[in-house]
Amino acid sequence: MTLVGLSIKNVSRNRLRAVLTVFGVAIALLAFVFIRTTLDAWTGGAEHAAQDRLGTMHKVTFTMDLPRTYFDELDGTRGSVPGVKAATYQSWFGAKHPVREQEFFATIAVDTDTFFQVYEDMEVPAEQLAAWKEDRQGAIIGEALAKQFGWSVGDDVTLVGTIYPGDWKFTIEGIYTAKRRAVDKSQFLFHWKYLNESMKEQAPARAERIGWMTTLIEGSARGAEVAQAIDARFEERDIQTRTMSERALNMEFLGSFGAILTALDVVSGVILVIMMLILGNTIAMSVRERTNEYGVLLALGFRPKHIALFVMGEGIAVGLLGGLVGLALAYPFINGMGRWIEDNMGSFFPYFQIPPHVAITSLALAMLLAGLAAVIPAYRASRLDVIDALRRIG
Amino acid sequence: MIPISYNLRNLAVRRTTTLATALGVGLVVFVLAASLMLTEGLRRTLSLSGHDDAAIVMRKGSDNELSSTIADAQVGQIASAPRVKKGADGRPLAVGDVVAVIFVDLVNGSGKTNLVVRGVTSDGIAFRPELKVVEGTLPRPGTGEVMVGRKIEGRFNAVQLGGEIELRKNRMAKVVGVFEAAGSSYESEIWGDKDYVGQAFGREGMVSAVRVQLDSPGGFDEFALAVEQDKRLGLDAIPEREFYEKASENTSVFISAMGIIIAVFFSIGAMIGAMITMYGTVANRRSEIGVLRALGFSRTVILVSFLFESVLLSLLGGLLGIGAALGLGMVEFSMMNFQTFSEIVFTFQPTPDILVTALVFGGMMGVLGGLLPAIRAARTAPIEAMRG
Amino acid sequence: MSDEDVKAETDSKPDADAETKAKAKAKAEPKPEPEPQAKPDAEAETKPEVKPIKPAIIRCQGIGRTFWRGKERLDVLEDLDLEIAEGSFEALMGPSGSGKTTLLNLIAGLDRPSKGRLDVAGRNIGEMSDAALAKWRSQTIGFVFQHFNLIPVLTALENVQLPLLLTKVPSSERKQRAQTALRVVGLEDRMHHRPQQLSGGQEQRVGIARAIVHDPKIIVADEPTGELDRQSADEVLTLLERLNREFGKTILMVTHDPAAAERATVLRKLDKGRLL
Repeated sequence: MTLVGLSIKNVSRNRLRAVLTVFGVAIALLAFVFIRTTLDAWTGGAEHAAQDRLGTMHKVTFTMDLPRTYFDELDGTRGSVPGVKAATYQSWFGAKHPVREQEFFATIAVDTDTFFQVYEDMEVPAEQLAAWKEDRQGAIIGEALAKQFGWSVGDDVTLVGTIYPGDWKFTIEGIYTAKRRAVDKSQFLFHWKYLNESMKEQAPARAERIGWMTTLIEGSARGAEVAQAIDARFEERDIQTRTMSERALNMEFLGSFGAILTALDVVSGVILVIMMLILGNTIAMSVRERTNEYGVLLALGFRPKHIALFVMGEGIAVGLLGGLVGLALAYPFINGMGRWIEDNMGSFFPYFQIPPHVAITSLALAMLLAGLAAVIPAYRASRLDVIDALRRIG
Repeated sequence: MIPISYNLRNLAVRRTTTLATALGVGLVVFVLAASLMLTEGLRRTLSLSGHDDAAIVMRKGSDNELSSTIADAQVGQIASAPRVKKGADGRPLAVGDVVAVIFVDLVNGSGKTNLVVRGVTSDGIAFRPELKVVEGTLPRPGTGEVMVGRKIEGRFNAVQLGGEIELRKNRMAKVVGVFEAAGSSYESEIWGDKDYVGQAFGREGMVSAVRVQLDSPGGFDEFALAVEQDKRLGLDAIPEREFYEKASENTSVFISAMGIIIAVFFSIGAMIGAMITMYGTVANRRSEIGVLRALGFSRTVILVSFLFESVLLSLLGGLLGIGAALGLGMVEFSMMNFQTFSEIVFTFQPTPDILVTALVFGGMMGVLGGLLPAIRAARTAPIEAMRG
Repeated sequence: MSDEDVKAETDSKPDADAETKAKAKAKAEPKPEPEPQAKPDAEAETKPEVKPIKPAIIRCQGIGRTFWRGKERLDVLEDLDLEIAEGSFEALMGPSGSGKTTLLNLIAGLDRPSKGRLDVAGRNIGEMSDAALAKWRSQTIGFVFQHFNLIPVLTALENVQLPLLLTKVPSSERKQRAQTALRVVGLEDRMHHRPQQLSGGQEQRVGIARAIVHDPKIIVADEPTGELDRQSADEVLTLLERLNREFGKTILMVTHDPAAAERATVLRKLDKGRLL
């Protein structure tokens, strides 16, 4: 038996209370891990987004399009921007499922020849890719989207356009998988030519327009320089461009949710305060009940610092125990839910699993805060007068 | 009955514990109330923009003004549909706006965001009587002058009186006024001349959406039928209020779902806190309860008394939480509206319903947390009075 | 209460056996306790009846202790002189509020006198710092409490080891010494029981084992039999007698119980802060 051992043994003194406290800490920790995982999944998309891929769009707003001729100038094979390895273009199509219109997913009209050269982190079986390129109304969808709507290769699908009105018919020709966690696994990709030809018939003013261009840069090239070179090329035109890396773009998008992110940050702090209150309360109660015992220890020659350490040790032990139980609950609970979220809300959260650093941080925080919560009771216990304490019958 | 003062005194004696527990409950109530207030604030901001007797017409399939386009020529056809109210001059009350978004830098340089730019005619301004210029003047028609909403004024670069906002290259817009619009989402927008804005965004000869004033709210069906019947128009009509409610739907569902999930998590924590405290109270007062039992108080009376103490404890916390949440009324919250991908600014909006809900929620935590300890208290035998 | 009585009664027989065994063992073993008390031990055994005149181990010279309750002054002890010889077994009696526990606390180094000089085991209590007093207590004083005051989550063996945690004694030796002490009090078969699994008498004997494990010169006992039935009380008193006679411990016992006081070699009475 050691001093530390004694301190830890005290945890089992009042079993019911110990169990309740550990459970309380565990629940608080579960909530904390959940919020932090949400935040991480949210911002993680940006952090894991590609830096070697640049997006070029209308300088004023992403909602306005560019002439397709811009692409011909940019494409590394025909154009002359140094550092560009491959380039592609696409248009936001913004269609919805005809029935389940609340379920958001990205529908994008892409250039079939170049798209997968630039998006190397999306993988499609070769024969599906070939079939897709052949079929003017063919679409390639993400695995998560396929799961969400139960679509498989060969299915005929009709979507309702919001930006481009009308019913649009497609055939699923392939399903892509992601090689990187930030890749949205619920996109719906189809031929830009299909869109363009329809526009030529219905609304000639909207034909030959593209939403934005994406370039993959050489490994040795510097993103910022290439981006500047691209924008410089269109500087004197009627429509200027704004080019930035995918990561910077995502970061900017996140900025719009700054308030929500801050709110979640605050809330995750609040849960820690609640945890401290529960812990502090429990520790204060046990100190009060054990006053007499501390008196005995003091009489035997233990010093106030020993008593303080007992209290702190007990608090930290409860914190650690609660933390471990919380994590044990969090893994199946959050990761299980995370899988559901990935499948159903993949556009917002392509990857929703507890990051290791969150698990470690939360465990460390549980112990640290338990220690902090124990400071005041520990200080009080260490200030006990021997005779007074002995007189109190426990 | 055991007098209430007995409970009150007991709570007062164990001050630290009482406060710690009440604070725990208070934080839960705070988070719940705050998220409900936020949802309500968003809903109200958007619904204030909608009038019961107005309808909005957009291109079929569009769910927001940004993605909708309607040719100028069609505006007249829409205005001549039945049930559209006529103005004093005998012209139908129908206006078309050009809606676009621009990228602007936050004043503190911490990022960029999208703001809605709305091109309106002078009829369009008259169409919204709630709109009031509070600083500067109205922009003159046919010029590059704009006015900005009260809520975004000063938050973004150049979005202030005298500022020059770049709509596109060589298309500057000079801010000449700041307006209020009864707290509606218009206050998060930039308003300029319809033609000037339209040219800047390549929308010559078209508008994004058309709003009409109906002769009565009941007239909508007839109006919609007429507008939608003409298949060549390819248009959709929605009551204006419904349009804004839909616009807030995703965002408010998101906020309230988040808030409720978090509050439920938190409440388990706070309930456990209350339970620990009440078990402690019961254990400490074992002999006291024994005396009460020996004096002839029934189990039920003791159960009720302890349950009551627990509820008092959590209501105390609930009041603290609500007080703190009310303090949020001062805070302005700004986030992206999922519908238009542009910034909208709103406030935490308390309503009596929300406050009562949050307080009841807090009280429930007291009941649930206090029940088991109260049962234990009620099962105390009178003989305990004899033990130390 | 009745439960405890039954438990104490059923336990008493094997206990008595254990005690005789312990006695036998204590004699058989050449080194029942670490060195220091080996000498007085031997002395006690050779001349159990005749008490040699020994120097005072406790000397109070005009000590007083004043407490303040708000503005009210309470002189619990006034101008008290007392000498206690090393190796004596003294009982202190007196009505409630007579100051006997205050005196005991002073002698045990839990408190300092407001005036006068108090020397215990060669140290001037009034001049020592809190830290020095605590260290001194852990080496010099063994405490026996009315309510036993065992730590409920620890086994008997662990409770007895408690005072040794303050020393640099390695853990294997701590355990050994605690076992020896428990053997002395006749509880070698209860070492791994927790306090609530023991009868009151057994608990107090664990308390006594804890009081002697670090080999203190002085044992202070505050109402050691106050919570016990007659038979358990007798056993505890017999144990204290033995500690005094065989191991040469100086014992100071505060008690209300005349039967307990009778077992001491010296009986002192205290009233209103003065020795009678």
